[in-house]
Amino acid sequence: MSRIYDTIEPNVIDQEMLQKAVEEQGPQEEAGQLAKREGIDFKDVTELQLDFRNILKIDNLWQFANLTKLQLDNNIIEKIEALDSLVHLVWLDLSFNNIETIEGLHALVKLQDLSLYNNRISKIENMDMLQELQIFSIGNNNLTSLENVVYLRKFSKLRTLNLAGNPLCDDEQYSMFIAAHLPDLVYLDFRLVDENTREVAEIKYQYAIDELKQGEAQALAKLEEEQAKQKELDYHKAAYVEYLNGPFLFESMYAEDAEANKLAYLPGMPDLLETYRNKFESVCEKLFAYGLEQYEKREAEVSTFYKCLQEALAANQEQGTKIILEFENQNMGLLEVVQDMSSFDMAETKLAKYNDDIIQLSDTLMTLEMQTVDQLEEIIKDFERNIADLVSTFIENVQGMMAQCRDLENHHHEKLLEISINTLEKIVKSEFEEEIPDDVRMLFVDKDTIVNAVNASHDIHLLKIDNREDDIITKANSWQAAVIEEVHKNEIARNRSRVKEINQYKDHLQEELDNLESLEPVE
Amino acid sequence: MEALRENEAEEKEEEKKAFKISDELQDLEEKLSKIQVHIPNIHEFDWSSMDTSHLPASYKINSAKEKMMLHIAANFRRQYTHLCPDRKELFLHPLNECGVEKFVSTTVRPTLLPYPELYNWDGCARFVSDYLTMEPLPNPIEPPSSLVSPTTILKYQRGNCFDFSMLLCSLLIGVGYDAYCVYGYATRETCMMDETREVCPLLKKSKEAQKETVKEKTEKYAVKPPRDLRSKFELQQAAKKEAEIQVAKQKKQEEEEERIMEAEKPKPDSLYGLRVHAWVLILSGKREVPESFFIDPFTAKSYSTTDGHFLGIEALWNHVNYWVNMQSCLNGCKDLIFDLGNPLRWEFMLLGADKPLLLLPNEEEEEELADEDLDNLVKEEEEKGSDMPPSWVDPIQISLKEFETRCPQGKKVIHYKKAKLEKWAPYLNSNGLVERLTVFEDQDCTKVLEVRQWFKNREDLLEMRQVNKITEVTTEYFGPGHVLGLKAHVYKSMNPETERTMEFYNKTRVDGLQKRVENACEMMEYFVGRSDFLYYRHTNFGKRTKRAQILVANPDANARPIMQIKECFHRNLEKPANEDVAERIFMISEERILLTYHLQENYITASKREFTKRADVDNKGNKIIMTPDMCLSYQVGSSQEDKKLIHLYKMMLKLMEEEKHLKHQVWESGTEVLEILKIREEEEGASKLTVSIYDTERNEKGKKQREAMEHQMQEERQRQDEQDLDYLAPFIIQMGNIEKMTKWQALRLKEDCLTDFKYHLIDKANIIQVRFEKETQELQKKQQWYQQNQLSMTVEDEEAYIAYCSDAMFRIRILEMRLNRHKETAPQKYIALEEKLCKDPRLSEYLKLYA
Repeated sequence: MSRIYDTIEPNVIDQEMLQKAVEEQGPQEEAGQLAKREGIDFKDVTELQLDFRNILKIDNLWQFANLTKLQLDNNIIEKIEALDSLVHLVWLDLSFNNIETIEGLHALVKLQDLSLYNNRISKIENMDMLQELQIFSIGNNNLTSLENVVYLRKFSKLRTLNLAGNPLCDDEQYSMFIAAHLPDLVYLDFRLVDENTREVAEIKYQYAIDELKQGEAQALAKLEEEQAKQKELDYHKAAYVEYLNGPFLFESMYAEDAEANKLAYLPGMPDLLETYRNKFESVCEKLFAYGLEQYEKREAEVSTFYKCLQEALAANQEQGTKIILEFENQNMGLLEVVQDMSSFDMAETKLAKYNDDIIQLSDTLMTLEMQTVDQLEEIIKDFERNIADLVSTFIENVQGMMAQCRDLENHHHEKLLEISINTLEKIVKSEFEEEIPDDVRMLFVDKDTIVNAVNASHDIHLLKIDNREDDIITKANSWQAAVIEEVHKNEIARNRSRVKEINQYKDHLQEELDNLESLEPVE
Repeated sequence: MEALRENEAEEKEEEKKAFKISDELQDLEEKLSKIQVHIPNIHEFDWSSMDTSHLPASYKINSAKEKMMLHIAANFRRQYTHLCPDRKELFLHPLNECGVEKFVSTTVRPTLLPYPELYNWDGCARFVSDYLTMEPLPNPIEPPSSLVSPTTILKYQRGNCFDFSMLLCSLLIGVGYDAYCVYGYATRETCMMDETREVCPLLKKSKEAQKETVKEKTEKYAVKPPRDLRSKFELQQAAKKEAEIQVAKQKKQEEEEERIMEAEKPKPDSLYGLRVHAWVLILSGKREVPESFFIDPFTAKSYSTTDGHFLGIEALWNHVNYWVNMQSCLNGCKDLIFDLGNPLRWEFMLLGADKPLLLLPNEEEEEELADEDLDNLVKEEEEKGSDMPPSWVDPIQISLKEFETRCPQGKKVIHYKKAKLEKWAPYLNSNGLVERLTVFEDQDCTKVLEVRQWFKNREDLLEMRQVNKITEVTTEYFGPGHVLGLKAHVYKSMNPETERTMEFYNKTRVDGLQKRVENACEMMEYFVGRSDFLYYRHTNFGKRTKRAQILVANPDANARPIMQIKECFHRNLEKPANEDVAERIFMISEERILLTYHLQENYITASKREFTKRADVDNKGNKIIMTPDMCLSYQVGSSQEDKKLIHLYKMMLKLMEEEKHLKHQVWESGTEVLEILKIREEEEGASKLTVSIYDTERNEKGKKQREAMEHQMQEERQRQDEQDLDYLAPFIIQMGNIEKMTKWQALRLKEDCLTDFKYHLIDKANIIQVRFEKETQELQKKQQWYQQNQLSMTVEDEEAYIAYCSDAMFRIRILEMRLNRHKETAPQKYIALEEKLCKDPRLSEYLKLYA
């Protein structure tokens, strides 16, 4: 801590420093020579040591994408930053620096060993993502509150903790408190947490711990429940029938409909609405069940297809491997034999034959590939047709059910209109005796107004139904398109890669041959 | 009843036939005697010469209950002969070994023996068939006139089929089976225990249920096979031809089989259907027996109740009742129904006994039977008294030794079709041999094909040895726990570096080795369950160089040069396929290393890499570490060589390290083989048998220990006796009269005893004193002699003198100590004796008064 800042020139992490460090810490001796000649990619470096370099700011480390161990101890770093690209980091040493807050660690999900020894940290925080943490050293800092240590309960794998040298250690309850609140801890301040202490501590803090535990359990249960709910919703969404298993659609129809709320005050309306609602909901339920069923069917179809595809590809792969194996067995050792052959002519003929063989092999493989492409094309076509059938049936049925909804709405509309006209007549004849709110009464000024209001409500409802229908149909269609496209894309990619592979193999073999031929005249 | 009459009529016919045939008995008996030649070592045993004097009284007389029973039986027989005059006489109360009539049911003695092997029917049957020697019936078409008790049978270890069945039945009922002795008719082979036409059960291959893995064609999207462009017609013609050849071949084979069958067919038996036999029936129900079956007591084999070996049943009995078969046996035993509760099918003798089974009666009889049942119930209540009397036979006892020895003299030979099976009792043979099966090529058993030997209790855990006489291949199987986990060893000769296969218990080995196949220039090793995914290693050896042959003195140096090592690995799913090595070949002689990687998904070529080791020096004299042409590689999926030389270099270094390691491994494998061979040879030479620590009879060490303990106890007792030595005895004898001892006499006795002891102590002291003085004198003499001759003495003499001095001084000191000690203890001893004498019961009363 007793550093004299004035005499120290702060340093910056630059290319030169990194290069030097990498070379120093890289392979040595013969391998080192090789490495020097070729140069070392920062990408390949897994361990880096940048200690005692008076570094003020962490920077320029983004190139070390595969780094697992980073030592930045004994510098004058003030802020943890620029570590976001080092996602493979397991070991991070930031001890003996001037860090004041814990931050910038959220990307290091694989971190197991973190040292922040001898800094100026006053609070443990911002470490939620470090679920793999096993060793944590935060001694010689400014931690004051014992309660803050409870934060470390999150890390179920934490076994070793160093807190020595913090103000909070002066608390006489310190070791008891830690032992009770971190029951999985094995080493505290470089010492084994002995069983006796733990037992005593557990008894002492039993209530506090139980409370904590209960809170944690509740939170966990809540989280799980939410996840389950989300999962179910996702499932429904995948079937395009989310929220159809309840009054959601019906309610959404009335949610933006101001007129309907007013019209609800008309005599006989509540009953009418109730029956309408029930019928509507039952249709929705039917639609929902149908949607799930169809979804399962589609999934089954797709999975059968992929299974068959896999089988076909496996068979094809086997066949191809067999051909190649046969070829290799046949020509094993041929090149060596040719090399040792005394007669030039004979060697020449052998080589020519070998060349022919290579070409023939590539032809055979290509034929096989063509055959596979044909076969696959056929089943893909079948699949396409079946999927199209499935989707169109689905859409038809959905449309049918939506038409039922619309019928219900129309029916309801007629009834409503009738009631409205009746009411209007009554009002006109001043026979209407029931109390109705003023704004509702305003509707009954003349026939046009009331009919308009009813029609407006009807239109809104129809629009909602139409929207929902469109939504389902679009989604189904786009799913179909996506599935088919993916199948095609995969097939094309497969074909390309296979053709490329065959050619590459052929080239490889011919290159071998050429190498031999070019050697021969020399010998 | 109509049916019964019919049955009887049929049976009458049968009997008639039998009588006709019995005229030719003379001639038949000759034939029979010929047949008997087959049966090994049957010395005629004269049952009448048996000593019956030691048998208990129940064997010699009948109790009142038994007499009553015999009376009932006689009555039953009278009724039976009256009702069915044409049927054979019943086997009801034959004479026993003491010439007393005993009812057969009372001869059954249900016994539970304390051997776990005898808890199941197969164990019992095997024991009976092994333990007893078979004797044919005196008259093959009549039941024997006497039936000996199972205890006597066990004693003499021989008997006929009735004796066998009675013993087996007793054991089976004892362990809870619903077993019955059956008296009926069987084929000649069964009656004579002739198994030469049967295939040995050990040779029957368990027919493996071939499960054809029906490949589930996923209907819908299965790809269509490519179009077949060959001519349909030609294919058809070819298929036709093929079929014709097939048919011809099959025909030939069939003919051949028929010929063999013909040759092997037994000669026709003129007594077919008349030969009396006895066997055991076990009915379903008890002991979880799902279906009724027969056991032939001679061979211990089970047969279904419809088996063709058994031709008819006269009667059957157990320890509680006797049933006569009323069903037709025209069709052998195939149509018999074993519902002993049905009186139409089975006529019972005792009403009171429980009916084992009552199958559902036919509709018409139902009501009648219901009434009858009620009656029966009442009757049962009444007749409880006339139950079967208890068995007259003593409990069956088999000692452990007899049980283990099994066969008479511990050896048994069975002849099968083209095979001979020999059995021995464990520990009878010094090499642990318990069973030997010899398989022959021909019917007459002259040419040996194969010998299988089973061993037990061997220290080297050898369980079975199989020698194929044609290929000269020996296969040995070991139990788990042999050195280095050896499981099986197949070899032609015990010399190293010849063809052999060793299998191991891979779970007990650290390296997971499962099999090692070896021949002169190759070694294949198969592994299972290794963490490095290695499953196969193939090593090629080259010829030894001449120079190496000279170095015979050091066998390690004489190892075969390794030419090539090939290793195969399973896929390690944690690594990408392109970096997971599937196969690596170290061509040691060519200094090359070939690597082949696993196939990537949907790829048909595997990545390859080839390293050439060269420690070259370039023209400037610098050592070349690594050049691109030292490593040829074919990388699937990516054309550019993305690997830097440094990586390849590291890889090569690692591989070279591995190569060194592998060479060592191969050498170790070789030494291991040698070691196993050495151990095997030693074991074979010693062929020791192990003895379980629970075997009190054979466990020598335990026996010795036990004996030693007993011996020690005895000694202890003796010593105690000695301690109680009567110190007054000599004095009492001196005084003569002890009965009446006066006070004076008692005092005198005490005085005498004490004085004697005093003298004894003084004597002892004197002896010690004398010896002490003698030693001292001698020492002084020696010292004088030494001082005189000191100048003329050699070093050796001087040394001898010093040694003597120290020795003598030691003796003197000891004597001195003893003397002192004696002086100290003597008074104490004296007082102790005085006290003891005062307390002596013989003297105490007198001395008390005196005191």
